[in-house]
This record gives sequence, C-alpha cells and structure tokens, in this order.
Amino acid sequence: MAEMIKLYDDAKCTACRGCQLACKQWNEKKAKQTTNYGSYQNPPTLQSNTYMIIHFQDVKDTKGNVKWIFRKESCMHCADAACVTACPTGALYHTEFGTVGLNPDRCIGCKNCVAACPFEVPKYEQETDRVYKCDMCESRLRNNLTPACVKACPTGALKWGEKDAMIKVAADRVKELGGDANTYGDQYVSGTHFMYVLQEKQPVYAALAQNPKVPLAVVAWKNLLNPLSLLAAGGIVVGSFLHYLIHGPKLPDETGETTKKAEGGE
Amino acid sequence: MMEVKEGMIKATDAFERLVHWTLAISCIILFITGLGMMFHSLNFIGDFMGGLKSLKYVHNIMGLIFGFSMIFTISMWWKEAGVFDLPADWQWIKVAGGYLWHVDKVPEIGKYNPGQKMFFLAVAGCGILMLATGLLMMFQPEFLPMWILRWMYPLHALGFFTLFAFFFVHIYLGTIGNPGSFQAMVHGWVSPGWAKKQHPKWLKEMEEHGTLKIYGGEKKKDTPSH
Repeated sequence: MAEMIKLYDDAKCTACRGCQLACKQWNEKKAKQTTNYGSYQNPPTLQSNTYMIIHFQDVKDTKGNVKWIFRKESCMHCADAACVTACPTGALYHTEFGTVGLNPDRCIGCKNCVAACPFEVPKYEQETDRVYKCDMCESRLRNNLTPACVKACPTGALKWGEKDAMIKVAADRVKELGGDANTYGDQYVSGTHFMYVLQEKQPVYAALAQNPKVPLAVVAWKNLLNPLSLLAAGGIVVGSFLHYLIHGPKLPDETGETTKKAEGGE
Repeated sequence: MMEVKEGMIKATDAFERLVHWTLAISCIILFITGLGMMFHSLNFIGDFMGGLKSLKYVHNIMGLIFGFSMIFTISMWWKEAGVFDLPADWQWIKVAGGYLWHVDKVPEIGKYNPGQKMFFLAVAGCGILMLATGLLMMFQPEFLPMWILRWMYPLHALGFFTLFAFFFVHIYLGTIGNPGSFQAMVHGWVSPGWAKKQHPKWLKEMEEHGTLKIYGGEKKKDTPSH
C-alpha cells in the first residue's frame, strides 16, 4: 500500500462538524458533558475520547472586516513521529500508509508521548490509564475504506489519496486560492500524513503549532542519552576488568597487628 | 572471608546497612524495569512481571521506595561523606588514591575517601534528580509548561547515565577491587589490616576518641569523657 495523505482545505470547510461526529461514531466514543463558553468549538480541545475537533475562530482583516475561519485539529501522522520514538512499548507505530497507529492494548499509560508530541495531540485517560489519539481509522484503511471523517465530509474539504497526488492537489489549490494561501504539514517533521491547505497565514490560526519539529529534548533523550548510557556502563565494566588485571586490587595491610596490640584487647 | 573474627572493627551499624540495601535493591529494580522501557528490544523484561503495564507500576512504586530510603541515606551519611575535608582530601585526589598509578604513600584518609564522597554526592544528587523528574513525568502537572516537562525526560536519562555507570564502579570497588570491603555492608565488621590500609586516619580518630568497637573485646578501656 502506498503512502497516503488526508488533506484538509479550510476554504471549503463549512464547520458542519459532520467529521467530528463520524469520528466519535466510528470509534464508539461517547461525548462528555461540556459547558457553553460562547463558541461552537466543543469540546474546546482534543480529549482522550475526542480524536478531532473543528476550531472556530473570528479573524479581523486589515479593513476591519470580521471573518470566520475553521480548522480541523487531529493527529498529524508525522513521518518522523516523536510519539513513536518516545513510546516504550511499541503501542504507537508507523503503518505502511504512513499513518501513526495506536494499539491501546499495548499502551501502559506512561504519557511519554503526551510530552513528546510537538502538536500536543495524544491525550491521557485516567479511568483506563491509557493514552488515545486519532489512528486515521486504521481499521477502515485495512478494509479499503477511507477514514470516517473523510467519508462524512459533504463539501470536499477533506480528501484522502496517495501522497504524491494529494501534494499536487494541495499545490494546485494554493495557486487557485492565491493571496496568503499556503500548505501546512508537508514541510514539517519529515512530512505529515494529515496536511492542510490554509487560506490565511499560519500564525493567524489559534493553537496551530508554528514551525513544529521533533523536540530537541526527545532527540537528546532517546537518540543520544539512552544508547550512551549503555555504552558508558559497558566501558566501565571493561575498564574495571582491565584495572583488576593491570593495577590489581587494593589488598588489606595484613601486618596490621599493631592496631590489635595498641587496643589491648584479645 | 565473610565470617566475623575476633579483633575485627565495627564499620557500619545495622541501620546503615538496612538503608543501604533498601536503596540498593530498589535501585537495581529501577534499573531493570527502566531498561525494559528504554529499548523495545528489552520489552521482554515486562514478561516476568505480568506485562509492561505492571512493569510501569513496579517502576513507579520502587521509585517511591528509592526516594524514601534516599532521605535516610542523605541524612545519615551527609556529615561523613557529603563534606570534603580540605586540604587533606585534595592530596588524595591528586594521586587518585593510588588507584590508577603506583603511589608510594597514599595520603591518610578518614572514614570515607574523596572518591567515596564523590560517589555519595553523585548518588544523592542524581537520586534527587531522578525522584523529582520521575514524579513530574508521572503526574505531568498542568502548571508545568510543556517545554519544561519535555526536558524532564532527558534529565531522567542523564541521571540514569550517571547512576548506571557509577553502579558498576561501586560494585567493582566494593568487592574484588578492595577485598575486605564488602563485609562492611554485610555484617558490618572489617579487619584491622583493611582499616589500616584503607582508612588509617579513621582508625586513629576512633582510637583517640575511644569510639573503636572491636569484636570479641570490650570497648577501649581508657575512654576519654567525650
């Protein structure tokens, strides 16, 4: 199976939230009670039982006109995924589709991925002591179906297709839209398998990670210090052995009878 | 080798040995369970504990036991092993205690030599670091900015790097590298020859203060009042 990409085109999105519902339905995740805080964006952030949300945002342009812009937030399915690097058990893994899968049965709820993800996507659930995130409907992909959110989208704002084709579709859309339109995702973390065509500049979007990278802390921890610690310990063991052979142990001074005499003991 | 003979000198008390072994055993279990989570190739370590989730719980609970024994470790050994005795200790460091090259006369040293002090400080420092970073990794409190939380992981790894290396140094120097040392942490008694070679100043101080305890003999007779 070829590498795939899910493309979101915010200019075509009406924020009907059909995708958000389809996601809940396919993954059988009940909604939790939320409180009205004056926005249709509900719940306000991703949750352990909400793998995707639509962001609602009012933006003022230079002429003072107010625009309503939307963004679908979910796992970006990075090619160089910090969560997969950080996961100690292999519960998070790359698939042949290029997506990042999650096997909850292997998840131990250590929350390493929660801290590692540059997009802050994985969410921890106390009740099950596990982490959850979008797996791009791997169960559907394995049966030649598109992800549930793509299936539900009525406007064509969400598309699913082979990587090269989708990158071309995105580039064409950017040209068509003109102005500040740009793509988001293909240029970060070795390419994401969920990418955007945005009509506004990237910093305009609330809570959108700017210039996301695999965090340096994750590289220092997983790629540097972990292997180095074994190397150092190995060096110490070999060094100790050589020390014993070459320098020899520090033997007790067994002529130390004077101590006993001075003591006047036995 | 391991039996207590007449004339041996008391080096550690039962409480010290209890704390030492609680710290040591929890530390070794933390190493093993931690390694099981560091590399996928070592995930099988979880199989002995009923899976990786149980391994995580063992690691977290052992961490608390380690942290708890760390409190006693630091409080009971700080005075003896946490403070350098300058300039005497400096003389010892300059010749590396005679451990690395031939030294005609190693400067006389008290109960703990500067090498042991450095080891103690490294364990105490890294122990506190491991406990602090570990707790923050476990609970991930909301008030902690994400970029700070992220750095807890490499710091935890750095603590492991140091402790794991020191662990093997400690095992070597505490056993075959210095014959006669290990029993100080088993039954608590060392031979007079060992004490004379390893910590002559300590021996002299005990003699002066009358705090020397000899197996099979009574306490030094002419004990000064203090």
